[in-house]
Amino acid sequence: MLAFAIRRLLSMIAVMFVVSVLTFLLLAAIPNGDPALRLAGRLATADQIHEIRVKYGFDKPIYVQYVRTMKNIFTGQAYSYTQGFNVTSEIKQGLPATVSLALGAGVLWLFASILVGTLAAIKAGKYTDRVLTVLAMMGVSFPPFFLGAVLIYFLGYKANIFPLGGYVKLTSNPAQWFTHLILPWVTLSVLFIGFYSRVLRSTILETQSQDYVRTAQAKGLSSRQVLIRHILRNSLIPIIALWGLDLAQVIGGGAILTESVYNLHGVGQLAADSIAKLDIIPILAVVLLTAFAVVLIAALTDIMYAFLDPRIRLT
Amino acid sequence: MTRLARRALPVVVTVLAVVSATVLAACGGGGGSNTSGGSTSASTSQAKNGGTITLIGGVAPDSLDPGFGYTTQAAEPDWLSYTGLVTYAHKSGTAGSELIPGLATALPQASADGKTYTATMRKGLKFSNGTPVKASDFAYTVERALKIPWGGSGQFIAGNIVGAKAYAAKKASSISGIQTDDATGKITIHLTAPYGAFLNVLAFPSLGIVPSGTPMKNLPNNPPPGVGPYEIKNIVPNQSYKLVRNPNWGQGALNIPGIPAGHVDVNVKISSNVDANALSVVNNTNDVYDWADTIPGSLLPQINSQAKGRYQKKVMNSTYYVFMNTQEKPFNNQLARQAVVTGLNQNAMSRLSSGSLIPGCYFLPPGMVGHPTAPCPYGDPAKGGDIAKAKQLVQQSGMKGQPVTVWSQQRAPRQQWMTYYTSFLNQIGFKAKQKLIADASYFPTIGNLKGHPQTGFADWNQDFPNPIDFYLLVQSSSILPTNNENFGEVRDPQIDSQSKKLGEVPTNKLNTIASQWQSLDEYLAKKAYIGVFGYQTFPALISNRMSPNYVFHPLYGWDWSSFSLK
Amino acid sequence: MATSSAPGTDLSTEISDALLGEAVELPPGLGPWRLAWRRLRRNRVALFFGGVFLLILVLCLLAPVYAKHIAHQGPAAENITGTVKVGGKAKDVVSTTGIPVGPTWHSRYFLGADENGRDVAVRLLYGGRNSLEIGFVATAITIFFGLLVGVLAGYFRGITDGIITRVLDVIWAFPAVLLGVTLGVSLALGGIGPLHGNTLMVPAVVVGVVYIPYVGKPVRGQVLGLREREFIDAARQQGLSHARIMFSEILPNLGSTIVVFVPLILANAILLEAGLSYLGAGVQPPNPSWGTMIADGIRTIPAAFHNVLVPGIMLVLAVMSINVFGDGLRDALDPRSKVRIAR
Repeated sequence: MLAFAIRRLLSMIAVMFVVSVLTFLLLAAIPNGDPALRLAGRLATADQIHEIRVKYGFDKPIYVQYVRTMKNIFTGQAYSYTQGFNVTSEIKQGLPATVSLALGAGVLWLFASILVGTLAAIKAGKYTDRVLTVLAMMGVSFPPFFLGAVLIYFLGYKANIFPLGGYVKLTSNPAQWFTHLILPWVTLSVLFIGFYSRVLRSTILETQSQDYVRTAQAKGLSSRQVLIRHILRNSLIPIIALWGLDLAQVIGGGAILTESVYNLHGVGQLAADSIAKLDIIPILAVVLLTAFAVVLIAALTDIMYAFLDPRIRLT
Repeated sequence: MTRLARRALPVVVTVLAVVSATVLAACGGGGGSNTSGGSTSASTSQAKNGGTITLIGGVAPDSLDPGFGYTTQAAEPDWLSYTGLVTYAHKSGTAGSELIPGLATALPQASADGKTYTATMRKGLKFSNGTPVKASDFAYTVERALKIPWGGSGQFIAGNIVGAKAYAAKKASSISGIQTDDATGKITIHLTAPYGAFLNVLAFPSLGIVPSGTPMKNLPNNPPPGVGPYEIKNIVPNQSYKLVRNPNWGQGALNIPGIPAGHVDVNVKISSNVDANALSVVNNTNDVYDWADTIPGSLLPQINSQAKGRYQKKVMNSTYYVFMNTQEKPFNNQLARQAVVTGLNQNAMSRLSSGSLIPGCYFLPPGMVGHPTAPCPYGDPAKGGDIAKAKQLVQQSGMKGQPVTVWSQQRAPRQQWMTYYTSFLNQIGFKAKQKLIADASYFPTIGNLKGHPQTGFADWNQDFPNPIDFYLLVQSSSILPTNNENFGEVRDPQIDSQSKKLGEVPTNKLNTIASQWQSLDEYLAKKAYIGVFGYQTFPALISNRMSPNYVFHPLYGWDWSSFSLK
Repeated sequence: MATSSAPGTDLSTEISDALLGEAVELPPGLGPWRLAWRRLRRNRVALFFGGVFLLILVLCLLAPVYAKHIAHQGPAAENITGTVKVGGKAKDVVSTTGIPVGPTWHSRYFLGADENGRDVAVRLLYGGRNSLEIGFVATAITIFFGLLVGVLAGYFRGITDGIITRVLDVIWAFPAVLLGVTLGVSLALGGIGPLHGNTLMVPAVVVGVVYIPYVGKPVRGQVLGLREREFIDAARQQGLSHARIMFSEILPNLGSTIVVFVPLILANAILLEAGLSYLGAGVQPPNPSWGTMIADGIRTIPAAFHNVLVPGIMLVLAVMSINVFGDGLRDALDPRSKVRIAR
């Protein structure tokens, strides 16, 4: 078990290393994206541009630049080129909004999808199931920025029920915090409810045909008891594992589109804004954060599985 | 990435107040009357003191550290928190372009040959942290702007002051062309050549004095102490900051004539949804809308009904144009360039930006000294273009069917303008296709001579009210291999010699040469070196809590020290 | 699209035994494909939406016909200062303050105009062609490379598997949107090699690459199982080459997996393209796509909401049709599979 954990850890580090190198190379390859030219400003002479290259280390070979950048990111000494803000503190600034979005939406989509998925499985093949299928499919077909635009238009501009975007700190005004987040939560959840309810439906159907369920039914337990004690309990394990992964993604800044359309100033929007400014440092930091969150949760999930189910070989 | 321009302050200009008849009508009359500069002093003396207002903007400042900040969003607060040796009068309209002494006892005096300026630092000044101000702080401030570097430092400091280039290149430990004496407060500055706009350079907020010993790097989270009616506090990157009144301003040595104390503290919030921002001011949730953001046309009806009398359109000195490469086919042919100028429908382009453009054909905008009064050489731009004539000109030029790449930024409405322009070029006989570049790398891309850009979007927002600031963009000496700003590679001996000569005349004597600038600008238009497609107007929108007696400054827009509650 | 996650642990992409060819409860005389077709035929909803998708596809293919004979203008034709008759009265196509006209329900500007005075209906159809083309090309890329790396890794195992799995892990650890935008921005500008900046191929390749692991990983798992089966052993003993075994023995057994994946990837590819276009890294103007049309339309909210609604509804309808049909297909081929792509 310990050996497995260590191996996972090592491969996790390797994956993050490659992810960071690739991002760095991709952004360095942008034509005319040389940050020195942008920093030097209007009518800068060749001398000045050279000075800036030296100052920021752009004259060094790319691997030296990479090492330096990574070192700065990990020691909290990385500053964005365009504005000079400390990237670590910028991410810290964005985290409350992102975490609020992730947790609220996470709870919403988990419970809603359990409800919808279970109902669809119970009614499998029936009319209700068909309707829920179409609804779930509709959910996964909405791009968040379109759904966001529609919700903002009808419930914000027209009905004036919700604010038009923005984030209010929980500590400064809990009621405002809540009203500002309702639409983003719904927007983000709609997608996941669609996915999860479908996954849960098929997992339940599969579990239903397992021997131990049949045994329980034969023992004369009520169908409700069987559903809750046996089927649901087992079917939820994969759902929760998925939930952990997706939550990790959102917290790592993966909800770029939702954050942008609602202007939440979270980590994802930081990444989107930085891409628009071609500012490599914050982009790199967010990519690393997301990759870290995902890889970590994935490893934890695997370990958890191994723990729960001794039949799984750890290789 | 400021909304307005990536560089420079859009500065100045006369507040032409409201513009065309349509605009007047749209404003419901209420916006028609402008707050003129003259009323300022009277209104400020009556203004209520105290309170806090909220300004909401769509774009964050590039940095509130004056040693780095170069966008309008930075210049606006920095102007009030970092006074330089020279500054501008706190007045609306052209009156605001007047240079007045700031921390210097009087406007710096130029020597007869225009190459040496002398000034004296006021006595008894203190920075916001209590440190006394010394004459040598000026030299330190200039060095810091070069070291960081401030975006304008190459052109305005290194290009003018003796020894500044050597200092920037680390070949000297100080700038040899600046001498200061802390005992007497005397400051002497030597220029490499006479430069008429040098006092304007000294008035840049980026040369607002900071204490010696301030770290030589951009401090966006914690900008250095300064001298001014306000102090910048509570910076949350890209989200908010606060301008707090300096309690000592107006007392003792800090009583500087012409620089009034503020009436209210100002909270600044950044939120990229400008529609929502505008609505929040209309609904009085926030108090001031950032004039540098555009108000979407879709909101104008609502603003005119709900915010009547609280909304006006202001003009500042900025010109939008398409550059045409005069060294490359097809625009090395004057007839081909004339075709563009003749056919371009400026009314159509204005509609792409919520009707915010004023049509025109001259490089120098209407509020600038030297803006020609003669009719446009290739048809009245307000009437929309003459497509038939343009087609004929393309035919005549022999450039019909020539491939043209139109370079374009991504952000609206610039992208939409260039989409229209591309389709227009195809209509008059070229084979045009649009090439979109990420906003951040657009100007370095078209500024790279090796790319041979044929035509595309360009704009200029004045750094200061002197035509030379515009003409730098068409002088052959400005053609650089990278970061070129003379995008069309205009090489014309007449423009070169004439603009150089006129550029040496000091800003406060511009009126004496206005007609010469006019004829030069008419010449540029006649040669069709650039295709001007309009001058931008900007929205001034406030909540009903605010007193309408504010100053709208020609360089910085909102003068926050003039804000007060009703 | 928010998150781009991770089908994650193998559990979510595991393919149940039914797909391995051991169809359980097979009525005698019916092959798995015929059986699936029977099941699908019973699923009216899925068939209906399959029909809807075909209809959209045909409409989009007919875009030039609509442009020429009904709207009388092309997708890039601008008419900013022109007028159009609405209810007998002449109206500005784009008002002086920049507000485009709404649906006229006439042949010209049937669904209104966009900011540049172009016909939204015409652009909707041309945009659909582009969105669908990108979707199909991206799907082809994903399926081809997903199969290739999945089969290679599963068949050879060992070091090949190690390398391929790590590479897939890397792609997979990126959030899909973030990876797509980063790739899109770097490529859209200059292009690389034969991929020129302004072509549809850039977003197609970007989207295609992003989804490779989502196919590669489950295929690998399936091949790992297949290669232990008797018929592969038999083929090996006959001395067939590796390539031959992979191509003619393993690949045919992956058929139903591919069929299940195609609609899934197609739907997600169209969505991801829309997301990239929203962030400015997708289809470049003046080419329309549903995503760029929505993104442009968001600027004219609230006055001209049709600019968001029209392409948005079309996009959702198309993607949903693919999804419902795909779901039916999946059910028909393998009622218990949990194949899924999270975004």
